[in-house]
Amino acid sequence: MLQLRSLTKRYGALTALDGVSLDLARGEFFGLLGPNGAGKSTTMSLIAGLRAPDGGTVTLDGQTLAAASSVARLALGLVPQHVALYPDLTAVENLRIFGELYGLRGADLRARISEALEAVQLADRAKEPVRNFSGGMQRRLNLVAALLHRPKLLLCDEPTVGVDPQSRNAIFEYLERLNREGLTIIYSTHYMEEATRLCSRIGIIDHGKLHALGTLDELLTRLPFDEEIRFAATPDTASFAMQLGAHGDLATADGAHRFRPGAGFKLSTFYTLAESHALPPRLFTQQRPTLEAVFLHLTGRSLRDA
Amino acid sequence: MNPILALLRKDFLNFRRNKAAVSLTFIVPFAMIWLFGQIFGVNRKDSGPNGIPFAVVDASGNAASAKLIAALRGEKTFRVITEHPSAAPKRPLTEADLRPLMEAPGAPFRFALVLPADLVSDSRLGLRLKFLSNPRNEIETQTVNGILQKTIFSHVPELLGQSLGANAKRFIGEDRLRQFNRGIARTVTSAFGGDADELERRMSSADFGFGDLTQPRDSSPAAPGQKSSAADVLSQIVKIDTEQVVGAKVKSPQATSLVGGWAIQFLLFALSASAASLFRERDAGIFQRLLAAPVTRAHILWSKFLYGVALGLVQLVVLFVASSWLYGIEVLPHLGPLVLVCLFAAAACTSFGMLLAALSTSPEAASGLATFLIMLMSAVGGAWFPITFMPEVIQYFSKLTLVYWSMEGFSAVLWAGQSLVQILPILGVLAGTTTAVMSLAVWRFNRGPIFG
Repeated sequence: MLQLRSLTKRYGALTALDGVSLDLARGEFFGLLGPNGAGKSTTMSLIAGLRAPDGGTVTLDGQTLAAASSVARLALGLVPQHVALYPDLTAVENLRIFGELYGLRGADLRARISEALEAVQLADRAKEPVRNFSGGMQRRLNLVAALLHRPKLLLCDEPTVGVDPQSRNAIFEYLERLNREGLTIIYSTHYMEEATRLCSRIGIIDHGKLHALGTLDELLTRLPFDEEIRFAATPDTASFAMQLGAHGDLATADGAHRFRPGAGFKLSTFYTLAESHALPPRLFTQQRPTLEAVFLHLTGRSLRDA
Repeated sequence: MNPILALLRKDFLNFRRNKAAVSLTFIVPFAMIWLFGQIFGVNRKDSGPNGIPFAVVDASGNAASAKLIAALRGEKTFRVITEHPSAAPKRPLTEADLRPLMEAPGAPFRFALVLPADLVSDSRLGLRLKFLSNPRNEIETQTVNGILQKTIFSHVPELLGQSLGANAKRFIGEDRLRQFNRGIARTVTSAFGGDADELERRMSSADFGFGDLTQPRDSSPAAPGQKSSAADVLSQIVKIDTEQVVGAKVKSPQATSLVGGWAIQFLLFALSASAASLFRERDAGIFQRLLAAPVTRAHILWSKFLYGVALGLVQLVVLFVASSWLYGIEVLPHLGPLVLVCLFAAAACTSFGMLLAALSTSPEAASGLATFLIMLMSAVGGAWFPITFMPEVIQYFSKLTLVYWSMEGFSAVLWAGQSLVQILPILGVLAGTTTAVMSLAVWRFNRGPIFG
């Protein structure tokens, strides 16, 4: 459905996007994961046609966006990072304006507005100025404003920044429902939890380059370890931890050790060693590594610190 | 630290980082005071009223009237016009030419003096002149009156002598008058000395030395507001028939002549602020949403332009309705042309606001630039003082401002009562200005930072 080929964008001396290529199938929920300044918003703006690339092409259903922008734009919906609404107008007035921009009129538009407001639980606030809404409510309205024309592809550029957990959850559920109904979504975020929960495929981007692309499982296989074992950093575990260092990566933070076994290191060896230090198995928590670990492995820095 | 001091420090820090604010504080006042000094010719030799077009028709053919015209030419206040401005081949102006020319759109002059054929008559003592005016600007009109009276009165004695001579000639005949003059000349010179022939020649040319009446006896100036007794006498002798050619039927002349300047300044400030809303929409990310839809930058800009024009039109209509109600300005009889001038002026002002927004990087910068340019344009365009009070070079720039042409439009409709057809050239200039400024704004918007 969507193809990016060697997409490049420069701002003066800064290369914001460096030869990014990507294929997106219909019905995918694709996550673009990266820290602030990684190139997520630039990618979104190039796909949405807000900026022209310095190199490469964006093709939607076989048509390059530059050549058929008006047709392509009808197929796209953009949820901007900001709450891009008119604060003095009511929810209905805002939606009516954005619907009319896509050529919607009359009863059809009214029906779609009602449906949209119902979907994000704002029907009872329809005639209130957006200025009076909470941040979460504004974010929900910001989302449905991009959906009135029923686009084939929805671009969500960090749509939950500054949103309370309850509203965030409502947005997630709504997006998941839309995706189940067939909407293709590109979702940019720097929260690995969001990408993990929502996205069927994830691209890890940093410094304008797409470092990895795949499902969560596929990305995790890029790690040299399958499991991560955590245990408390106490005097009792100190000598054990020191010995473990020779068998893999050991990181210590927030009063806990995190051990990622090296290649060929067997878990049975780990527990034998623990037994020799009289440490009971209940001290250890074994879990799958997260995208955070993948990001760290690929870029050499933490997603949160970047 | 005291909260007030902490907050004060914060404001200064913000100020230091805001280049627009810094330039507004230090550079703009300097530029402003320099520019206004230039506009009003402060400390220049050519300061004061300058080059007011002033038509003179000399039907008398009198040598003294030629001297009067030469004296008027010598006044830098006037640019004396004695030939028909558009007739081919060129010919002197006649009294019959004056009214149509003064009433025409874009009149080449608003003041005229007629020295009639009977300027010096043997049937009456004293002089009779005719002064025609279009007093649409009170300050300018008063200035013209003052300078004209001064010039006429300083040349009256010579003309008055001719008047006396002409009357004497009618009463006693030319030969007897010559004999009388000769006798008087010989008697005077035999008693007091002097050249009898020279005295007779001066008496024959009606030079009785009345010029001394208007010469100051010492160098001390007369107190302001006081007329000399000689001037009182002369004003009784010199009869100036005045005729207001344009605007004579205007019911509220003072307000009508001023309202155009008020309206255009108000409009410029209001619409510049309106154009600054582009920055709010940009900062809220609304442009991103709009441009991701089937909307182009041109759509955004032209919709903003049309909104500005509509807003300006409504504001102007309200302003004129209020001025009609409060000051008796006649609006209804001129409603059609007035609305059109309002529409074109609103379009020109909106395009100006759009250009300011296109040239600026922030609403603060746009607002500062607007204040500076609006004050400058208002001064140069004649909204504060008549442009004829400015140096000649500044007067040239006046006609390049939308303030000047908008005021011309309002004046043409409300003061001169011109029809739609008559104001078409003014509307054309305003439309051309709008097109040029808006094109520049759109070009700049497409390359500037506002669309990211």
